[in-house]
Amino acid sequence: MIEEFNIILAGVGGQGTILASSILGTAAIMTGLNVRGSEALGMSQRGGAVVGHLRIGSVVHGPLVPEGKGDVLVGFEPSEALRNIAYLSRDGLIIVNTRPIIPPIVSIGLSVYPSIDEILGKLKQYAQVVTLDATELAEKAGGVITVNTVMIGALAGSGRLPIKNETILKAIERCVPKETIAINQKAFKLGYNEILRAF
Amino acid sequence: MGVIDFLMKGAPGDRVLLMGNEAIARGAVEGGVQVAAAYPGTPSSEILDTLAEVADHFGIYVEWSANEKVAFEVALAASYCGLRAMASMKHVGVNVAHDPFMTSAHIGAKGGLVLVSCDDPYAWSSQNEQDNRFIARQAYVPVFEPCDPQEAKDMTAKCFELSEEFHHPIMLRPTTRVCHARADVVLGEVPKEKRKGVYEGRPDLLMYDARGARINRVRMLQRFEKIREAVNELPYNRLELLDDAKFGVIGCGLSYNYVKEAIRWLKLDGKLSLLKIGTTYPVPEKLIAELLHSVNEVLVVEELEPFVELYVNAIAKDVNPSVKVHGKDLIPLIGELSTRKVTEGLAKATGSKLFLDYSSLDKFCEESKPLLPMRPPVLCPGCPHRASLYAIKVTAKKVAATDYTKGVKPIFSGDIGCYGLGYLPPIEAIDSAICMGGSIGLANGYAHVVQAPIISIIGDSTFLHAGIPALINAVYNNARIMVAVLDNDTTAMTGFQPHPGSGLTATGLKTTRVIIEDVARGCGVKFVEVVDPNNIKEARKVVEKALKHEGPSVVVFRRKCGLLELRDKRKKGEKIIPFYIDSEKCEGCGICINPFGCPAIIKRDKSFFIDSILCSGCGVCSQVCPYQAIVRQQE
Repeated sequence: MIEEFNIILAGVGGQGTILASSILGTAAIMTGLNVRGSEALGMSQRGGAVVGHLRIGSVVHGPLVPEGKGDVLVGFEPSEALRNIAYLSRDGLIIVNTRPIIPPIVSIGLSVYPSIDEILGKLKQYAQVVTLDATELAEKAGGVITVNTVMIGALAGSGRLPIKNETILKAIERCVPKETIAINQKAFKLGYNEILRAF
Repeated sequence: MGVIDFLMKGAPGDRVLLMGNEAIARGAVEGGVQVAAAYPGTPSSEILDTLAEVADHFGIYVEWSANEKVAFEVALAASYCGLRAMASMKHVGVNVAHDPFMTSAHIGAKGGLVLVSCDDPYAWSSQNEQDNRFIARQAYVPVFEPCDPQEAKDMTAKCFELSEEFHHPIMLRPTTRVCHARADVVLGEVPKEKRKGVYEGRPDLLMYDARGARINRVRMLQRFEKIREAVNELPYNRLELLDDAKFGVIGCGLSYNYVKEAIRWLKLDGKLSLLKIGTTYPVPEKLIAELLHSVNEVLVVEELEPFVELYVNAIAKDVNPSVKVHGKDLIPLIGELSTRKVTEGLAKATGSKLFLDYSSLDKFCEESKPLLPMRPPVLCPGCPHRASLYAIKVTAKKVAATDYTKGVKPIFSGDIGCYGLGYLPPIEAIDSAICMGGSIGLANGYAHVVQAPIISIIGDSTFLHAGIPALINAVYNNARIMVAVLDNDTTAMTGFQPHPGSGLTATGLKTTRVIIEDVARGCGVKFVEVVDPNNIKEARKVVEKALKHEGPSVVVFRRKCGLLELRDKRKKGEKIIPFYIDSEKCEGCGICINPFGCPAIIKRDKSFFIDSILCSGCGVCSQVCPYQAIVRQQE
């Protein structure tokens, strides 16, 4: 049994990182692995930066991925991936949605959003990066609300996750509202196939 | 099956993914809770949210109370009538419940009585960092600190049993990273027995034959002595003593996990003695003494204040004065702990080599900083608070510039809730948020020392929680203040809990609605008006009148929470028709983004546009635009 596999899910409030970590946690339990995780609730939900930690394996204790110990950083948004880089190991993998979400504070000139290339360049200095336009794929699957399952698909497609695809699809069925099961499973497959191409 | 189904139908032995707060709710059920009361507050809210969902199934009385004081008193009364009862709240909620809490241990408990205080190190969603172990200590109430969701569930159930055994209230003190942690939790048995509440007479006569504060204090201390002994035997305190280890570590509550990981990564397994503490008050003195006997040096790891550390120092003086006690000299006093912080502290204390070069990691992060945009939380698109705050700010500035205050700028005395986000740019229509109801209390004070338009900005739930006495004070002492009650029909920030003004109970039953404007009139306020904030023109007119009223005034800004409104529309299948900016008419003045600040409106290069996915179709921006450039899309 795998000792420890650490995932960081970084994004913006409203992108569904919490549901993503629920799906992955449920799938891990179905696989017989222990789960520890933590997420941002409350204040940070309102369009703020959010990060979820998910740890699975036989020897996991704390609810937070220790700095420098993450196996995969799943960036739902490019700048949020960079914001949480410290959690990732340099041997880790960064899977990042290239679609930016520009914070309103940038519009009023109090902060700057850099170019995507600058962000990706910085990420690549740190660890291996694979990119996808998850927002576009989510729209294809049936709506931007499925960005989270596209990203889970991409994570599964990376081949690093110690959980089988069928198990994740079952966990999706269990965790999402009934009427959205089909589009979420479609989103999973789109993300999965896209990452195979991207590698 | 969703989580709630698991909680209701899960069999003993089932392994389920639970959030810490859900685990506490299940623990309460397994502990035979029959009454649960709370006021919402992050990170505590999901405990009662969850219990409300399963209340009918398990036959539990569950309520959202008007505030934490009442919640605790409801639980207290149930305990006096022989039922197991729980009140849950965030750390600062205990300040509100402090009054009855202080006397609760004096009187004691009949049915098991548990107060869940969810502390928030790093103040993720709070106005302060506060370590409630000190409050518990002051009240002689034992504190149980779970390290993870499984222990949170098990401890909760056990706390009811122990409270009943010792006739004494107990505080369960999880922190944010237990409340909002997720882990696999193995379920236990749910008892079938239901008790009937019986009032047997004066509460302090229930257990003993004498009464009065002085006698109660003696009894309390006697009970507490027994608890001091008993905690040494509880499974939540564990000593792993190695005969030849000269260094010991004490991990309290959640911190125990970080200690375990630090030991593993510093390759100190089998090289030091370890004490896990789950009852941080009273501490397991015998176990601490045993550890101190066998080591030369010890490190106490706990979040926030050096609470256990003080006891360890005191015990060391008796049992082994030469032992060196570390704690806050190596472990941060501020914020929440992490494996890294504990690893660094432990490495320093033991002279171990770090497994990772943190300085290069820090250097990389420092270099990345210029590439990181700020991303503070914002009021949602379609949030009626934005409209209210806009109307208040613009009008108050106008009144301040032209009227009785001789140009003194207005005071925006804010409160606890979503609208507090109006503190941030570009809205900047909130100056402070000190505590629940504090907006009106502070305004009372300002009114007698400065001449300026003074506006209290407070939400519906917050007003009903702690705003009313301060409003009465304004009437009584004739404070010239305007109280703006931003009524969005829910407790939005904590996850849309109902409150006395929303006409629904925790379990979804219809109930009498407490009408805010009636309350204000009943308190003797002469100027009371209700306005729809999304009608900016009208709202501004009412604010101006209220500010010119010589005496306290109340304006209720009534409009349902934008997120709930969207949810309702989706349920009914109503279409949301977004707005767009007509680039022909837009003059680029930028009022729509500053100060109005709707996140759906974006400026790129020099042009403005509306993100139609984010737009809620509320149309308030179209009223704010001086050039009529914002219009609704065609269906």
